[in-house]
Amino acid sequence: MRRLIASLAAAALCVVLIAADAPVVATGQLLAYQDGYVFFTTGDAFHVAPGVVIHDAKTGGPTTIVPGPRVYARATFDATGTVTELDLSTRPLPPQGDLSDVAKFAVALSPPLPNPDLVLATPGPDEAPSVRQHYSGKPVLVVFTVQVPPNTPLTSNMYMTTDQSGWNPQSIVMDRIDALHFRIVKTLNSGTVFRYLYDRGSLQQEEVAENGIQRDPRQIVVADSDVRAVNDTVYAWLDLIAGGGQSIAPNGLPTPYNPAPFPNLPNGAPRPNSNPKPPLQ
Amino acid sequence: MRRLSLAAGLVPLVFALACSAAGATTLVRLHAQHIAFYYDRFLIEADGHVQVRTSDGFTVSGDAFSMDLKLNRFLIAGHVTLKTATDTVNGAAVSDFLDFNRLYFVPVTSEPDRWTFLNNDLAHPVKGRIMPGDVFFFPDVTGRPSLTASSATISERTYAHFYGAIGDLGGAPVPLGSYVVNFAPNQYFAQNSLSGANFDATVNVAGSNNALTAVHIRYDATNFGPYLAFEQHLVGQHEYAVFSINPLTKAQKFVNLDLYDLIGKRFQIQTFTQYYDDQHYLGPRSAAAQTTYVTVNYAFPHSYISTVGNFTNYNLLGNKVYATPGPSDTVPSYTQLAGSEAHPTQLQMTWTSFNNRIWKLPLYEQTFVGWGWNHDSVGSQYGHVKGDPAGLQEYGGYTYYTIYNHLLGYTASLPSLKFGDLNSPYDIYYFNASVTAQRQWYTVPHHVNTTTSVASLSRQFTRPFGTYVAYQIQNTNDLYENGGYPSYVPSSQTGVVCPDKPPYPPDCDYEYAAFRGASTLRTLNLEFNYLPNPDFNLSLLGRKHDDFPGPFPNGQVFLTPLKNPIGQPVNYNYLGQPPYDVTPDVRFRLLPHMLLDVQRTYYFNYNNQKWGSFIVQVLPQ
Repeated sequence: MRRLIASLAAAALCVVLIAADAPVVATGQLLAYQDGYVFFTTGDAFHVAPGVVIHDAKTGGPTTIVPGPRVYARATFDATGTVTELDLSTRPLPPQGDLSDVAKFAVALSPPLPNPDLVLATPGPDEAPSVRQHYSGKPVLVVFTVQVPPNTPLTSNMYMTTDQSGWNPQSIVMDRIDALHFRIVKTLNSGTVFRYLYDRGSLQQEEVAENGIQRDPRQIVVADSDVRAVNDTVYAWLDLIAGGGQSIAPNGLPTPYNPAPFPNLPNGAPRPNSNPKPPLQ
Repeated sequence: MRRLSLAAGLVPLVFALACSAAGATTLVRLHAQHIAFYYDRFLIEADGHVQVRTSDGFTVSGDAFSMDLKLNRFLIAGHVTLKTATDTVNGAAVSDFLDFNRLYFVPVTSEPDRWTFLNNDLAHPVKGRIMPGDVFFFPDVTGRPSLTASSATISERTYAHFYGAIGDLGGAPVPLGSYVVNFAPNQYFAQNSLSGANFDATVNVAGSNNALTAVHIRYDATNFGPYLAFEQHLVGQHEYAVFSINPLTKAQKFVNLDLYDLIGKRFQIQTFTQYYDDQHYLGPRSAAAQTTYVTVNYAFPHSYISTVGNFTNYNLLGNKVYATPGPSDTVPSYTQLAGSEAHPTQLQMTWTSFNNRIWKLPLYEQTFVGWGWNHDSVGSQYGHVKGDPAGLQEYGGYTYYTIYNHLLGYTASLPSLKFGDLNSPYDIYYFNASVTAQRQWYTVPHHVNTTTSVASLSRQFTRPFGTYVAYQIQNTNDLYENGGYPSYVPSSQTGVVCPDKPPYPPDCDYEYAAFRGASTLRTLNLEFNYLPNPDFNLSLLGRKHDDFPGPFPNGQVFLTPLKNPIGQPVNYNYLGQPPYDVTPDVRFRLLPHMLLDVQRTYYFNYNNQKWGSFIVQVLPQ
């Protein structure tokens, strides 16, 4: 029995010793390779062995890729945390290992200090605890539906103007879904702060606030989800808020005052001033 | 009027003073062997002998540079040298979070370390402070950059100015030279005074935090063909000024000045001045005209007042110089108008209520009341061409040079009344309806009633497929207390002799025999829309017009309705609509950041016309 226990203990010791000496492998992106150190984009610096082996990650053979910023690497660490091998690639490598496992070997002159910027603010007595919002950047289908004012001409096109397209008033054309509603589906990455306004093809035909004043851009922050629906209401258009006033139209002088409400009567058609009867006495 | 012009001229000066008071932002000047800009992600990536100089008082050199313009932070990595006013330190990477005034640095002195500079204090690093996890991350960029350059100036959250820029158009290099990408959240930068065009490639050649200079390469199938335009923007927090010359390379030029200022939260004023000039190189001018709009708005808690003033000089050349009239005087073109001697002035003030819900009903109402004044001491009635009688209107033996009006109107609407199976999104019908009615009285003894009624029914059958049917009736009734529209004997422009009573041959405009100033335009719309994904859309719009007075295609009385370059009809209440038209429209992604929209209308041989012209729009995303 004692022999059996001794054999098991010896075997266990061997496993521990072998495991302790086994190299650790982790993939990551290089930040720099200089002064005898390799820096990963985590900001961690590791000693590089004098005889470090540099290979192509794909072929395993020699490589022309020079270790440096942006290069992806599979690093092999020895038991002391020194990098003994780097397999390089210009494309992301399949995840392998974890750099946090070797973070204890990262070289830094100064001991780590806590960072108050990273601590969540303590909520006030009447405040809900704040949650640090994280966005994965995944594509999210965002469905914008807008209700337009009833005086919107039925022949009007509808557009969105956004900060992502330099506020071009014709960048995003919307689709009419009925007399008062338009819709567009956009793919936006989560985390996007999307600012936008609605217009009818030019900035002279842009939406204004309900009180007739030019409004600040609408804004949404795209959160992580599969689909998001945004429902907006346009209260008035810049060119239609003045009742019967003529709209501002670049590249077209305004039509002179016409007392008849028909802009394109054909020649010869009856006009009110053509042969008026005298007014009643 | 000269005083008004002087006042309009002073506004830019006041504006410039306001802009100069704007706050300073960090400028980053970047030089590298290769600079790439990715428009879809607003990333600037640079490699090789990177040199960065900032207005925050330090310079950095290194191997690679990466800046996320939206996140407003940049990173320099590889053999970095950080130089401040007092020190020079070598290291592996520097990352500047401009929004937070944090500069993160990995120096390599005797060994690597981590330093954080707080609030632009470059003399006292906080050593060892734990950094956010993504401080030194490079973005994974794939695909071709939108442009490459040799150097750049970046102003945080406002613009990036590239020098030696070469654009990428579907793989083909396009030399751009100096190019500015403006990404400011301030939408006033985009205010423009240009008309719509089928194609517009904007080359921003210079810029700053408050200014942007642009050259537009444009194509307008309707008016000008290909041409260049110039535009200058000046932008403040609550004001802007836009100056443009469009087209720059054609004889017919429009010089526009657009000014805007928001004073407080309730008052805004906007002016738009346009000078039109028709001159081939240094030859004699054949036309010159000017118009100025002044729009003033004041907001009340539940309503607002808008006042629009307009002064127009159709002929600045004097000596009764007239431009050549256009092909038809039924739709006055600017060429015709430029020959008119009229110089009307008008003022229209309108009070408008908010859209108010009526009790707890799904009904909303909006009321508006207005007053107006029109004057023209010379005038040209109906504003057409030489030979029209003077004044604004003749009636009852008098010539009216000044006409006042007042108006009262309301809008009632019923938005989105749902019925059907409300538990199934694809079995719900939506009913919308609205009525806008207005009466406008004039000091010439007549009034005009205008009513527009619209109703629609829509349903989404599947996620990508939806349809709606809409019916619109536009009634216009010009009622004179005495006289008004006289009787009319039908005529024909094709030589057909028209009898004085029915039946009339089709070439006769017989409906005008019954026309007494009242028109009814009825339009039935049916549209199908197929939107399988954001990159593709197909729609088919069919319309049936049933109008009085009706069109007369055989007599060539009405042309097909004019459309602007983006496909919108120029006149909303156009007399003479073709009875039937069908418009297919397809939109698809042409390049990663460009959609193409193509539409064309079929008129069923109305006026011997089958297909209208193509409407093609390039939509930058």
